[in-house]
Amino acid sequence: MGALGPMRTTFNILLLCTIIAVPVGAQSIFEQRHGEVVRIASGERDRSFSTITAKLKAGNDVPYALALLDTLTVDEAIGGMFYSYSLIGCYLHTQDLLPDSLKRKVREAYRTRTMYRGDTENHWVMYYTGLYLAAQTWPNEGGSRWFNGRSSSENFQEAGDWLNHWVTTSSTIGQGEFDSPTYVTTFITPMLVLYDFARDPVMKKKAQMMLDLLFVDFAAEHLKGNYGGGHSRDYPEDIINPLAAPSTFWAWLYFGEPGFPPWNETRYRPRHRSAWEPVFGAVSSYRLPDIIYHIATDRTVPYVHRETKRVRNVIRAGREMNPPVYKYTYVTNDYILGSLHGGILQPIQQHTWDVTYASDKPNNTIFTLHPFYSGKELAMFFPEEEKFLSDEVDRYHKVYTNPNKWNSSSPYEQTFQHENALIILYHIEQGAKQPHVDGFFPKNLDELLRDPSGWIFCRAARTYVAIYPLKPYQWMEEEVNWRLRSHELNNGFIVEVGSADEDGSFEAFQEKLLQRKPEYKNFDSTRTVEYTTRQGAKMKFTFDGERVLNGDRPSFKDYGFFNGPFIQSALESGVIRMQYKDKTRTLDFKNVSIVETP
Amino acid sequence: MKPFACSALLLMLLPGFALLEARQSTVYVSVVSTKLFVVGAPNPQTGLFYQKTSDDTLWQHTGRNNIRAFGVDIHTPSRGDVLCIASGNGVHQTTNGGKTWKITTGWRITEVLSVAIDPRTANTIYCSTPYGVYKTTDGGTTWNERTNGMGTLFVQTVLIDRNNPETLYCATEQGVYRSDDGAATWKKTGLHVGGVRSLTKHPTKSNVLFVGTDDFGIYATSNGGAYWDKMAAGLDHVAFYTMVFDPTNPEIMYAGGYITGVYKSVDGGQSWRRMNDGLTNLNVHSIAVDPTNGNRVYAGTMFGGVFKSENGGTTWRYAGLGGSQVWTMTVQPF
Repeated sequence: MGALGPMRTTFNILLLCTIIAVPVGAQSIFEQRHGEVVRIASGERDRSFSTITAKLKAGNDVPYALALLDTLTVDEAIGGMFYSYSLIGCYLHTQDLLPDSLKRKVREAYRTRTMYRGDTENHWVMYYTGLYLAAQTWPNEGGSRWFNGRSSSENFQEAGDWLNHWVTTSSTIGQGEFDSPTYVTTFITPMLVLYDFARDPVMKKKAQMMLDLLFVDFAAEHLKGNYGGGHSRDYPEDIINPLAAPSTFWAWLYFGEPGFPPWNETRYRPRHRSAWEPVFGAVSSYRLPDIIYHIATDRTVPYVHRETKRVRNVIRAGREMNPPVYKYTYVTNDYILGSLHGGILQPIQQHTWDVTYASDKPNNTIFTLHPFYSGKELAMFFPEEEKFLSDEVDRYHKVYTNPNKWNSSSPYEQTFQHENALIILYHIEQGAKQPHVDGFFPKNLDELLRDPSGWIFCRAARTYVAIYPLKPYQWMEEEVNWRLRSHELNNGFIVEVGSADEDGSFEAFQEKLLQRKPEYKNFDSTRTVEYTTRQGAKMKFTFDGERVLNGDRPSFKDYGFFNGPFIQSALESGVIRMQYKDKTRTLDFKNVSIVETP
Repeated sequence: MKPFACSALLLMLLPGFALLEARQSTVYVSVVSTKLFVVGAPNPQTGLFYQKTSDDTLWQHTGRNNIRAFGVDIHTPSRGDVLCIASGNGVHQTTNGGKTWKITTGWRITEVLSVAIDPRTANTIYCSTPYGVYKTTDGGTTWNERTNGMGTLFVQTVLIDRNNPETLYCATEQGVYRSDDGAATWKKTGLHVGGVRSLTKHPTKSNVLFVGTDDFGIYATSNGGAYWDKMAAGLDHVAFYTMVFDPTNPEIMYAGGYITGVYKSVDGGQSWRRMNDGLTNLNVHSIAVDPTNGNRVYAGTMFGGVFKSENGGTTWRYAGLGGSQVWTMTVQPF
């Protein structure tokens, strides 16, 4: 130790004390990071309203920003609903900095450009948020001044009515496009803009409450930047590499996790036309409540979180317009194991289950699926011709009919989860397209053992995963993963997940699993499996039949709207109560109020 | 959209030319999307297109693009001044021949698949959607749901009996429904097949209707829907998206659908034969016959644009809008 040694030590202790003394919470995280988002985004040269906003707010690259905004008012490179909300958001944030000529061009865009409303929930949120704020900004104008021929007041009324309808639906029976690591951006960003600029205090309050709801819904299934559990929609690239999803950026900005700035990280590889929508968060006056920050980051005690969502509108070949989706998630400090109950719950991009674990490596997830596709499935949700829908969807989602795809809903897949154990069953009809199930196992696992007992053991950092395939399979090497493929039509997997905290060593975890096997005699006819978890829970599951746990039949009704230690809400109540230690925050959507205690 | 004013002037000044011009009909087609369609992008080659029957492959666009235009109806007495487009965003309406347009429906009416204007009064309009049938009697100022008696809400097409506009028919996911009181109430007809995709009525015989289905071929009724007969003679396919009568000779009919090409009947739909010479896209979603010249037939295809025949379907040639998904076509005699 040199002469300065003791002084350095004292300094370090003081520094540590200072760090400890600074209250960590949503505010401090946001204050540290929002300026950086604007600064970095202001140096980007992508063609987005987000980076234009950042440039103008930061006073950086202003001539370019103004020129680009000018171009985008007439250039139809982007259009429709994406254009509708982000143009008005950019305008309202920066109007004091815009020359009058450019203001007039922005106004004119809402007359000359077609703002297509689209056919998904996120499309409508973007479209009507944009229309609401544009009509509010330019009131008392006739139909000839608007792209749709409707007057300012007609547009304002219609947009407000639908936004109210969406808020009510989302806060009582849930979103159709729920918990999507990709599409969550298309809900958060319009709500941020609506919160910042809605003049009606009730609409502003609803936007704030929807932001709270979107973030706490994410927070309860969040682990170190990852959006865990089942998802209504996501892209294959994000499913096999969770931190690549746009939700990571929001988590970094508001939850303080992951620790690395997304734009510098190879694991974060946004695919969309602009990855900078969080600029609208960085410049917003919305502040995440501390309680949501703590819900997102405190993983000291493992917990079960259950919730109910809904299927998007079923317009044909269904018995209900919006059947419920039951979602079960087990969250620990090391991993999240989560599942949707199965079946077709969202067309095209459903992700039914996975275990996502904390790791400093990419591709930190394991899951299985049946790569289903069908014109009939699409025709349930879209009005175009069934016999052409698959090809149409393939044109812009690329992988819909691909037998190797990593996202899919399937009528032949069902799940039953209890804490950190999961049973997935498949019953693929004879003659079905793509009659196989696939499993994703990253190649960068720290340990992988396909044991002669039938168990596949995986270790990734502190997380242990054991998977027991019920039927024979083939094992194929791909670029970043191993692909398990089984061609058996009646099929399934037992999954148990553990960790160093829960099981001690990886060997000890394996030892526990080697002592147990599922019972599934005559499975092809009964499609029933029985399994006792390493923690002693007796699970019995029949495809299209009962889920039995320790002799009881757990009811999906117990899921409520939210049912977990951090969020409680009765289905259709419109009252959502967050809890963290002795603090609560209650969103009462029926009375448009927020109550905090203490 | 009104390039006809000059023609009207010429019509008065040049009687000989006017006779020729009077035979020029107008073809309207609705293009839902193209092979290049991208959600959120401008998709300029979509929406409503029209041409004079002499215009070969030249089409003009009117109204908005990027609206997912499923259907179109023209108030014939207005000679095209009143026109409605059924679209993803709702019902787009013009009352001045396309100079200005307005979406007359609000958020509750979406994914509009067809629209039908009462020939007696352009203020009465019906539209069909996956969420039911809607009606306005004030030119679109207010719309009301009209699904009383319907067992299903997914309504592909609503059709007005132009001889008796209080009578309407709907093609639905669960058969065909009929209303005799201007859509106030509906009753299911005797057809119990799913996925009815198209519906057409005899030009003069109100009780004669034909339907095309997604999986069950073609059915016909001659008593307003009480009984239906399956048409099988000569048909080798099951999915039919469009059926039309030749208004100049209702014994002649055309039908098209999934990989069918164009079928033609010359005996009022009793028997059919395929007429595909020159038709290079066999997925036909819409067919229209020129009411001033029954030999002139148009076929709109799925992602293949429009084809035209000048000899009653014997031969076809490409007529433009390549790559388009042409959902609906109509030819108007003006």
